[in-house]
Amino acid sequence: MAPSPCALCHTNRALILRPKNHQKLCKPCFINTFEAEIHHIITANKLFHRGERIAIGASGGKDSTVLASVLKTLNERYDYGVELVLLSIDEGIKGYRDDSLETVKRNAQQYNMPLTILGYSELYGWTMDQVVEQVGKKGNCTYCGVFRRQALDRGAAKLGVQHVVTGHNADDVAETVLMNLLRGDLPRLSRTTSIVTSTPSAVANAESGVPNHTNIKRSKPLKYAYEKEIVLYAHHKQLDYFSTECIYSPEAFRGSARALIKNLERVRPSAILDVVKSGEDMARLIPGSDERCGTGGCATNTTEEAGGCGSSQGRSTGGEMADMEKRLQQNDNAADHGLEVEITTMKTPRKKNAPKKATHASTQVPRKAVNQTMGQCTRCGYLSSQNVCKACTLLEGLNKSRPKASIGQVDAEDDETSTSHLSNTMNQVGISGD
Amino acid sequence: MDNPNHGQTCRRCGLASSTIVRSEPLCQVCFVKYVSTKTVKRLETFAVRHSEPDKERRLLLPLSMGVSSLTLLHILQGHLNRQIERTGRTGFSLHVVFVDCSIIDDAAPTVVSLRTVQERFPGPIYSTVRLEDIFKTQDHGHGETEPNDGSATAKLFALFSALPSPTSRIDVASNILTRLVVDVALSSSCEAVLWGDSTTRLAEKTLSETAKGRGFSLPWQIGDGSTPFGLAFHYPLRDLLKKELVAHASIVSPPLEPLVNISSSPAHQVAVSAKNTTIDFLMKQYFESVEENYPSIVANVVRTATKLETSTSTPERRCRLCKMPITEDLLGIHGWGGDETDAVPSSGAELGHGLCYGCTRSVPVEAIDLLPT
Repeated sequence: MAPSPCALCHTNRALILRPKNHQKLCKPCFINTFEAEIHHIITANKLFHRGERIAIGASGGKDSTVLASVLKTLNERYDYGVELVLLSIDEGIKGYRDDSLETVKRNAQQYNMPLTILGYSELYGWTMDQVVEQVGKKGNCTYCGVFRRQALDRGAAKLGVQHVVTGHNADDVAETVLMNLLRGDLPRLSRTTSIVTSTPSAVANAESGVPNHTNIKRSKPLKYAYEKEIVLYAHHKQLDYFSTECIYSPEAFRGSARALIKNLERVRPSAILDVVKSGEDMARLIPGSDERCGTGGCATNTTEEAGGCGSSQGRSTGGEMADMEKRLQQNDNAADHGLEVEITTMKTPRKKNAPKKATHASTQVPRKAVNQTMGQCTRCGYLSSQNVCKACTLLEGLNKSRPKASIGQVDAEDDETSTSHLSNTMNQVGISGD
Repeated sequence: MDNPNHGQTCRRCGLASSTIVRSEPLCQVCFVKYVSTKTVKRLETFAVRHSEPDKERRLLLPLSMGVSSLTLLHILQGHLNRQIERTGRTGFSLHVVFVDCSIIDDAAPTVVSLRTVQERFPGPIYSTVRLEDIFKTQDHGHGETEPNDGSATAKLFALFSALPSPTSRIDVASNILTRLVVDVALSSSCEAVLWGDSTTRLAEKTLSETAKGRGFSLPWQIGDGSTPFGLAFHYPLRDLLKKELVAHASIVSPPLEPLVNISSSPAHQVAVSAKNTTIDFLMKQYFESVEENYPSIVANVVRTATKLETSTSTPERRCRLCKMPITEDLLGIHGWGGDETDAVPSSGAELGHGLCYGCTRSVPVEAIDLLPT
């Protein structure tokens, strides 16, 4: 069979079957198309403005490495006039993060971008390895996700940067849409489909010009880029990236959604994009969504997310799906029994149960899609809808169960980084927890 | 679910239980009652007290010969009989329509199997339409189908051979089916359609329509109540899992199982080769496995999707295939955030084609002229 020519330049031999639409392209045309599409997303959504300092959340993985490479290329080619810096978070996972951070350090040299590394241990007094030692592998993604979100904001504030870009790709967004349908979490579905998220105080504090960790803008320039194309781009540009997945496996809902997305892509390649499209459209149909503000590009408010590799609720002891199943079943039982007590007179043992379960129902009804009101965490000042933010709540739990001897260790670490705002408040958490 | 559970007693009547329903042991009698109550509760609006004696309310039940729609027919027949016994009249009259899809699916049930159903449930008025009838201009509601019109068959074949994948064909077929059912309902003065979708099926639909880019129309596809078609849709089995309906079909006397068309059972479909898999089938497989251990999660997906509200903007047009109201930005697959090209050459053409995002994915440009009007 004669080699088919590239569908775009019609001269070179096609070497790449584009995962997104099965177009046959040569290598230069693929690279060009991929970059042109990212450029289109950036300009169509007006993601950047001239003179802006932007931190790239860099993990050393394929997504953030490709993001750094593409942004550097586009910034030079189209003269965005933005200053790019790398920001890495060291979760403290041996055998995973320490290796990938070496990659980031090389990237910093290759792309000539300044790099800042911020560790969970200096921010929170706990590495992820220590957290896992404490809480076990199940549910550890919650800690990591909550901690990482705040860590990126804190790191950005430290750098005097108001905009963080992350490497979330179309597969990630599609996966999150399905995951939040499975979890029944419409507010989060709405947030994760926006290309830009920002915090309310971003507007309020804009005048003072001093960034603090609650006014950081987040955006996802790779939101519509297929994971497979990101891998292809990294391969053909011979980018230096770290390809090992986190050693702590994703929780059940995300794992389940990820498998579905991969299968869907096999059946219909456009399906990933189609799920993203559905997610964006559904975000507009969520009751109380301030949406209805037009198509696509409007920023939604974000608070602490359990996202990232994320899990749903607090500390889970078993599989997340099993936990949620149990909670939902209690609600259902309570509702059913409440009803049955009225209709048929039940025998004594049931009567005893019914009221007790009914109170369960009132405290555990699934979250409604209402707008949260934003305040600040009374402990660390991070933006939160609660009195105490998620990170501080999680820390309180961790510190409570940490043996007294190791609290001394925390103090020692804090002395080294006494500038860290949260570490100081963390001491209070540790103390008040005792 | 159907694992016998000796030693446990029924939570409702205290007799020996034989079935576990959502972690509660139930005896057969109470289980059958449970299924029936869950269904009838959904039909409060059509109770006798809401109907005027001289003005009959008509409801349409589309029958696929699968376990769910047969169960719905079985329960409704029993419900109507009880209404007669108690009050001397019924809250509504039931019409059943069978859509014959044998033209595109060799394993699909035919009119022959409908006769067995008619014998078992003689109450309702029955009618049949064929999938190809969508290409006939006259209404589809008048009793038995007219002799097969060759040109309609040819048109349907032409359309289906122009569709690129099994996913597209199933998608287009189910949209045509919905439109045929609506046509029958309107022409026979039915005020609502009672679909047989179980919780599990509605959850499948939520995710497969999401995967097909139709998230925008979910509120009309999942919720009970009025639809853009000018009549209401109801899903009376929305609180029952597929596995519960399957268990119920073998417990009732005489069992419904012999009537159930095999092609709609999961075992039959697993045999389909992997490369012919469809998005709908993927989701079906997925939720059949989720409902095994996590039935409440299945129900929660449906509850979540039902919370979505219909769009506040007043769309000025309808999609040419699925007939859902669409605003200009929902036309075609271009001109949204994920459309990463600067040039939008086909935009003007797409406006003319009049297909929504999801239907544009299923119907290639060359097949658009073959669609029914």
